[in-house]
Amino acid sequence: MNKIIELINKIINKSEKLSNFTVIVYKYNRKYRNMTKTILFALKGIFKFYMPSTKLSKGMQIRKIFQKLKIKRNSDRFIYYLDPLKILNIKNFEIENTTIDYEIGLEKSLEEMQKENENMKDGEYKENQKQLLLGIEELIEKEKKIAPNEQVANNLENIKNKKADGFQEALQRILFYNQIVWQTGHHLNGLGRLDKILDKYYKKDIKENKITKEEARSLINEFMKLLHENFWFKSNALLGDTGQVIILGGKEPNGEYFCNDLTYMFIEETEKLQLPDPKVLLRVAKNMPRELMETSVKCIKTGIGCPLFSNDEVVIPQLINFGYDEKDAYSYVTAACWEPLITGKSFDQNNMKTIVFLKPFTEMLNKENLEEIKNQEQLMEKYKTYLEKYIDEFFAELDARKFETDPVMSLFIPHCNQVEIDVTEGGAIYNNYGATSVSLANTVNSIININKFVFQDKKYTLSELNELRKNNFENNENIQLKDQGIRYGKDDDKVLEITNMITKWVDEMLENKTNRIGGKLKFGLSAPSYIDESKDFEASLDGRKKGDAFIVHISSDITSNPYTELIQFASKIDYSGNRFNGNVIDFMVTPSFMENNFEKFTDFLILSIDVGFFQMQMNVVSSETLIKAKEHPEEFPNLIVRVWGFSAYFNDLPEEYKNVLIERALKNEGKSY
Amino acid sequence: MKVRVTNIQRFSLQDGPGIRTTVFLKGCSICCPWCANPENIKYEIQGEFGYDIELDELEKEILKDEKFYKSGGGVTFSGGEPLLQFDKLEPLLKRLKQQNINICIETALFVPTSLLEIALKYVDEFIVDIKILDNSEAKKVLNGDIELYYKNIKKLFEQKHNITFRIPVTKEYTLQEHNKKRILDLLEKYKPQQVEIFKLHRLAESKYKTLKKNLIEFKEVTYDDMENFLKEIKNVKINAKICKI
Repeated sequence: MNKIIELINKIINKSEKLSNFTVIVYKYNRKYRNMTKTILFALKGIFKFYMPSTKLSKGMQIRKIFQKLKIKRNSDRFIYYLDPLKILNIKNFEIENTTIDYEIGLEKSLEEMQKENENMKDGEYKENQKQLLLGIEELIEKEKKIAPNEQVANNLENIKNKKADGFQEALQRILFYNQIVWQTGHHLNGLGRLDKILDKYYKKDIKENKITKEEARSLINEFMKLLHENFWFKSNALLGDTGQVIILGGKEPNGEYFCNDLTYMFIEETEKLQLPDPKVLLRVAKNMPRELMETSVKCIKTGIGCPLFSNDEVVIPQLINFGYDEKDAYSYVTAACWEPLITGKSFDQNNMKTIVFLKPFTEMLNKENLEEIKNQEQLMEKYKTYLEKYIDEFFAELDARKFETDPVMSLFIPHCNQVEIDVTEGGAIYNNYGATSVSLANTVNSIININKFVFQDKKYTLSELNELRKNNFENNENIQLKDQGIRYGKDDDKVLEITNMITKWVDEMLENKTNRIGGKLKFGLSAPSYIDESKDFEASLDGRKKGDAFIVHISSDITSNPYTELIQFASKIDYSGNRFNGNVIDFMVTPSFMENNFEKFTDFLILSIDVGFFQMQMNVVSSETLIKAKEHPEEFPNLIVRVWGFSAYFNDLPEEYKNVLIERALKNEGKSY
Repeated sequence: MKVRVTNIQRFSLQDGPGIRTTVFLKGCSICCPWCANPENIKYEIQGEFGYDIELDELEKEILKDEKFYKSGGGVTFSGGEPLLQFDKLEPLLKRLKQQNINICIETALFVPTSLLEIALKYVDEFIVDIKILDNSEAKKVLNGDIELYYKNIKKLFEQKHNITFRIPVTKEYTLQEHNKKRILDLLEKYKPQQVEIFKLHRLAESKYKTLKKNLIEFKEVTYDDMENFLKEIKNVKINAKICKI
């Protein structure tokens, strides 16, 4: 059997077309987990599959895709359809984890875009844009033909030569451009500040009695359902990881807090729909209405995993401090997970790779003569040298990446059109790279343990302790490396000093590094890869065994660590410089706890804003439910959990993710695993 | 000056108004068979249970969550019987008061009145247990002097009004007709601000095991039992609720 698979793989690898097709079939199978269905899909699909030649210009490839699209009608109020079998052949890195500026699509007609294009100097940029715009025009015609009614047809027709007018039309136009972004091979596409963007269309329709509040709500509901369709195709590494984040609320430059009817509606419809995506992120601030927090808590209480909270009081000053224009900082959205992003002006690739803090630390333990390290200061100095080398290589790898020319993304960044330079070549205003990071907690805890067991208590030498680690602590389970009262997640001065020292080093190491198009590298303290990066990773001196997951985001592995303790800890972490690329606290709450303490929990969240967390998300689920769902998945088809930056059906998760959630839930409840 | 504690629990939502830090003081004057904190009955340190902490240190711990006390919260002294160490605690109580930290205690009031008098100077919120009010039964089951309890209740209500009574509900004791009548009489006489009734739980089972003690099985108290009792309390025009822990 293995030999046959090997052979098939060989054939597939030879043909780009086949290997691209296989990815789609794999995605399909991941969704349905049914071999017969998948084979049928593959047999039918292979004839419909289309991938234009890369010999054509990028703009022409996209146009060809649009021409071949088979659009189906799936709503009475909108046209929104993805054809998974028409794809671009992407050989380099593709822009991902971003959100286009939908306001441009709403405010500018296709005609205006084409006029702008005509005035450009002849060349590759102009040609790509020209073909893309022609493709869009043809796509509009195609979609109009299957429009369910005149209103939808008009809403599509207006894209050509009018600004959007009216709430439903605005939603249609967002869907239209969103469809284009997905269809052209971009992954993890956000939706932006929809309450803010849609505000004027909604208010106008309400004022002119064209729409009632309830009709608007129903449109939002349908809009979200349509975005959720095809989530198997949209999902990245894990099912549910689509990056479809809707940003709500937010502090204004004048200090006021922005929110409107739509803010509430998006959260309430999320609660009602109980779908893992699209997800909502609420930008919170001290002066936000308590009612809005209550609405959010009601939604979170269902276990859906969102809204995620992003604290404008902390995030915005760091964005300005880094160098984003003040107005831009106040209008930030986030990339797929948490990483702040300025839409319409950025190439910023916020989620390129993960810094694994434990890698250089472990390398140090494996290579250094440990007997020479006599105290914590020397230990830190040594670590710093290994970390520096690691960061240098890390940056060099990112900077060497080649990106696919991207006329779609460039279209939505006015500055690209002004300077007529593709977004991947420096056409945008902001050109930064972003990294996530993992295992800082494990590293800090390792340092604390070494300090205690080796330098203070002199119970072991560092080499002896390291030998135990190399043997995966076999037969030495009683050395209690996990039992220290002081650990990452405690608002202890020592823990914070080490944490902030390490991140400050990285900040300084990156200070003078500039990527090929003049951007910086930012990083943050949360990352999806706490399982993937840890799978084959050696044991670590925080007591973690080989292959066990790293500590998740900003969280603690202490049993029953109080939430206030974690919030205070996270609030004292220094996020200045370039350390603001997503810093999310992540914790577990039991549904009964939230139910019985609704008011006080709401108080807690509001007060936490003032205390100063960066971002926050939670899983509201009991260990009991998770254990049952693992044993009897058939009884829990709709159980949704928060995974990293997204929510997913528990049943769709690989076993190791299920285990990590169960373990964390048990620890939160003060039970042992 | 040091006091003896077993635990300092931040983010306590069940021990008084708002978000609180609860300090569990070790040692108790009575011995309830259903005790949920059996490690706090004896004053002596028992293995992993109990340590002495300087008042300065304790103050630091309490102030860590000061920003969360804006929810109407503060510090709660629980136990054991917290009043037993209130003489030693007084300097800290004074300092907390100066810093406007809301102070709450959970007490069974089986203590010399002189200790209650210290509390009256500093404590904002009183949560007082009503357990067994029959004289001989209180002596036999709790090892408590019910006359002292009544005397302290009288003293307390002379000076304070924001008092919550907390009643653990058992079929064996609380719900016995003669005891229930005494409870309702007491409530009617003093009209406390609020009454919370709650079912016993077995969350402390592992602590009992560590202490090599047995947690007695009590008869199942049903939802209806709780609702009926709640109704009877409300009938004497007292604000009451079932507390879910």
